[in-house]
Amino acid sequence: MTGVTLTCVDKVFGSTKIIDNVSMDIAKGEFAVFVGPSGCGKSTLLRMIAGLEETSAGAIEIEGRDVTQAEPAQREVAMVFQSYALYPHLSVFENMAFSLRLARAPKQQVTRQVKEAARILKIEEQLDKKPSKLSGGQRQRVAIGRAIVRQPKVFLFDEPLSNLDAELRVQMRLELSLLHKKLGSTMIYVTHDQVEAMTLADKIFVLRGGVVQQSGTPLELYDDPANQFVAGFIGSPAMNFLSATVSAVTPAGVLATIEGSGGQTLEARLDSATLEAGQAVTLGIRPEHLHIRESGFNTSVEMTENLGGVAYLHSRLTDGQKIVIERRGERQSYQGESISVGADAKHVLVFALDGRRLH
Amino acid sequence: MITNRRKHIMVAITLIAPFVFIFALVFLYPTLRMIELSFTNAALIGSGEWVGLDNYRRLLSDSLFYTSLKNNGYFVLLTVVPTTVIALAIALAVNRLAGRLQALVLAIFFLPYILPVSVVTQIWAWMLDFQFGILQPLLERMTGRPVAVFKHPAWVMPTIAAITIWWTNGFNVLLFIAGLRNISPELYEAAALDGASRRQLFMKITWPLLWPVTALVLTLQLILQLKIFDQVYLLSGGGPFNSSYVLLMMVYREAFQLNHGGYASAVALVLFVLIMVVSVLQFQLLRIGGRK
Repeated sequence: MTGVTLTCVDKVFGSTKIIDNVSMDIAKGEFAVFVGPSGCGKSTLLRMIAGLEETSAGAIEIEGRDVTQAEPAQREVAMVFQSYALYPHLSVFENMAFSLRLARAPKQQVTRQVKEAARILKIEEQLDKKPSKLSGGQRQRVAIGRAIVRQPKVFLFDEPLSNLDAELRVQMRLELSLLHKKLGSTMIYVTHDQVEAMTLADKIFVLRGGVVQQSGTPLELYDDPANQFVAGFIGSPAMNFLSATVSAVTPAGVLATIEGSGGQTLEARLDSATLEAGQAVTLGIRPEHLHIRESGFNTSVEMTENLGGVAYLHSRLTDGQKIVIERRGERQSYQGESISVGADAKHVLVFALDGRRLH
Repeated sequence: MITNRRKHIMVAITLIAPFVFIFALVFLYPTLRMIELSFTNAALIGSGEWVGLDNYRRLLSDSLFYTSLKNNGYFVLLTVVPTTVIALAIALAVNRLAGRLQALVLAIFFLPYILPVSVVTQIWAWMLDFQFGILQPLLERMTGRPVAVFKHPAWVMPTIAAITIWWTNGFNVLLFIAGLRNISPELYEAAALDGASRRQLFMKITWPLLWPVTALVLTLQLILQLKIFDQVYLLSGGGPFNSSYVLLMMVYREAFQLNHGGYASAVALVLFVLIMVVSVLQFQLLRIGGRK
């Protein structure tokens, strides 16, 4: 069953198109994440689903009901804001009870629902306090609690963890994931942090310039990016991109000469795309797929970040192109040394100069 | 940060010293002298004889004092709450505008506030002039005949109150606008998602969050309006039949027209205590009210 469906949705501010012909299907109970750089339109899209922004064209459906023109309150969605948006003059209890009070719910029901939400989020002790007396993490829980109390069809999260410190962010991320499993509701989550997207999502939508670049499970996006933007955006450290020229076409794919490597080549597999020798392309290789090997291309290691379990060698080719090499359990620094690295053909992705992925 | 405590205190003292000095010279000392004066029968210039509580006893049997006190109270009633309500309504309206239009409208509402009282009263004296006032046709339509508003016991105070509101309202609008801008738009969005109607948004979000500003405006207005003098002095001179006579006019008359420095001081002191007690009381009550 469908949770949220967007059909050819546009958002226009003046003469600028913020959201351009977006269509998507989010299944009921799915955890969808909109991810993209600042200004890509992900928050606007979320606010359009919430009804806080008007939709210029297209249709939005929630569980089969067209809500494009519906008021926010009639969409049966609840939203958790980046700033939490807690009512500062009301206690935690009253913040969470706000929607029920407006709906004139019986007192017993209000108390029961608020206490249940507080129990799930472990904030029973804070119910009498004002938001100003709470820590960032507690405020975040209250904001989530306020959403839970409404028993919405869809939960919307607008960068809810970005105001928390790193440790708390990891903890809340886990709790959100558990909460999703417990409630089984449809959730849409906006973030610019691809780690949050990868860890939380059932399905990720990568946005750029108001256009969905690709959607799929986190691993689909990681392993099989549709274009150079998605390839570079998903994964940390980011994928390495090397300028190269096709030097020969092989039965399995192509051999490409990497610029600034002194004529060294890398092999890449291609299924159907046809390339000709001399054609300029961009090769994409994830840091963990680069290995030190003799038959590779030379790079000089400028700096090594060793985190114990994993080390990142920040290196450059002779023409200045940067690459990062990941080494598991590495104890050698390599700093200032020249090393030869290579990658298996199946891990080398090929992109056209306009960013399209070539398969 | 390591700080030298002694140096810290010295800097603090140096910074507040000029204010303390000026405050003591032009407020504290005159106030103490006035209190002292209120126990004497001094004229405006020179010292008088100690008469104990005589001035206060006389005050209690002075019918003009009670008339003035009553008029002060009436004026407060006519101005404080109405000006606050009007300012809030204007601020809510102006807040819906944006950009230059908002700045322009705000400037228009603020304009009267920068005019000196003499200009304000002159404008209104002309507009309400019995013979050629531009507003007289309006009054005539309302009442059936022209009204000499400053010479009519029932009209004089409400008219002065209306002029005062027109004159001073811009500042209150500004305070409310500042208060409204402090309310995060996300609160309204959250409440809209929670199902609040326009009226509920105002009652449950705007009004409670604006309460501290409202309390401030009410208190400032109370202090200001209890000190009413200029408008009455310039527009009606306290008449007709003392129907617009106020405490500060009494101070002025006793001190500068009748040369009763001691007695005028007693009246002034009573007004001073009245303003202090009423405003502190009101502010505390409003704060408690706001917490609930």
